[in-house]
Amino acid sequence: MDGYKPPLQHAELTDVIDLALWAGQLLLQHGAESARIEETVHHIGTGLGCDWMDVIVHSQGLYITAISGEEFRTKVRRVARLGVNFDIIDAVNHISRKVYDGKVDRFELRKQLEAISTMPHCYNRWAIALGVGVACAAFSRLFGGDLAVMFVTLFASSVAMIVRQELTNRYFNNFLIVVTTAAVAGIFASVAELLHMSDTPQIAMAAAVLLLVPGVPLINAAEDILHGNIGTGVARGVFGAVVTLGIALGLSIAIRITGVGL
Amino acid sequence: MIILEDAFWSAFAALGFAMLFNVPRRTLIACAFAGAIGHASRTLLIQSIGLTIETATFVAAALVGFLGTYLAKHLRAPSLIFTVTGVIPMVPGLFAYTAMLRFLELSLGTGDETILQEAMVYFIRTMLILGALALGISLPRLLFLRRRPVV
Repeated sequence: MDGYKPPLQHAELTDVIDLALWAGQLLLQHGAESARIEETVHHIGTGLGCDWMDVIVHSQGLYITAISGEEFRTKVRRVARLGVNFDIIDAVNHISRKVYDGKVDRFELRKQLEAISTMPHCYNRWAIALGVGVACAAFSRLFGGDLAVMFVTLFASSVAMIVRQELTNRYFNNFLIVVTTAAVAGIFASVAELLHMSDTPQIAMAAAVLLLVPGVPLINAAEDILHGNIGTGVARGVFGAVVTLGIALGLSIAIRITGVGL
Repeated sequence: MIILEDAFWSAFAALGFAMLFNVPRRTLIACAFAGAIGHASRTLLIQSIGLTIETATFVAAALVGFLGTYLAKHLRAPSLIFTVTGVIPMVPGLFAYTAMLRFLELSLGTGDETILQEAMVYFIRTMLILGALALGISLPRLLFLRRRPVV
């Protein structure tokens, strides 16, 4: 990639920076850590003919400066965080490599990014609800729960996941979704204790809310801070802490309603 | 035998979250595998040589980090898919929200000082384990892909 690059015209540079912002936005929205976003976007920019591309990842957006010859452009994009979606990160990663190797030009990249933005989910929502239920049931087993606890957890967290999907589709505030979902999971999981199904019924309640644990933001927070991206790291950490507080609040509501202790 | 059962259930825990995170289908089984290796090796380290959960988490996460780097090359996918889903069974979710529950209990003002202590212990454990996870899965990059800062 070294060597002379013909300088890009102003309009070309605008197009390149828009594409770089688009790719960066897809990564930031769907759960990539900051270092990866910077690297990928930088590769796309230089692969499309810029001499240099500077990228700053912020918790709420991206700042990009593209430089080519005498020309430079800077753009800022506000980015709203969406759910974790590793299929999109995988697809952006693939295309960025092709761009870096000079196999894909900016017209092809635009087409590809459009396709990536509208990719359907790999798994249908009912499969996800069941999968998440199985995951929480597996956690309850790892916490020492018996078969009855596992079944109650499976049921409670699958129902909670469906509630979460419904609320998310209706664009409710994320914090409210977390509190409500945790309360629903807790209330359904209390069945284990109310019906005396097990010697350790409180495990069902402890495991059923795990579907809400903000694992990716928390891991990304620690990774960002470790790699020196303190600002985004702290922002993601606070986001994770607030979601965790939401889980605790939702559980408290469930405990208050059912009278079952944790 | 207990370790195998641990690995079995950890695989399902990682699998469910991998679906939630919409990992590409070709990587789904590998994600479950990474989850099983990670959590089971942590359990093994705690039970056999008596490591603390924090230290064991770091070693297990490093294992997942290297496994993830290998799987990433093999399956042509970014390594974070395998490392992040692989450590999900080790994320201290229970500790995290128990800390929050104890903090909330403090607001009742019962004067029970052990509540504050418990809250802090869970909180610090959560922080340390998260740090161990991040450091562990970044280890391949920190050790073998060092580069001079570009700016």
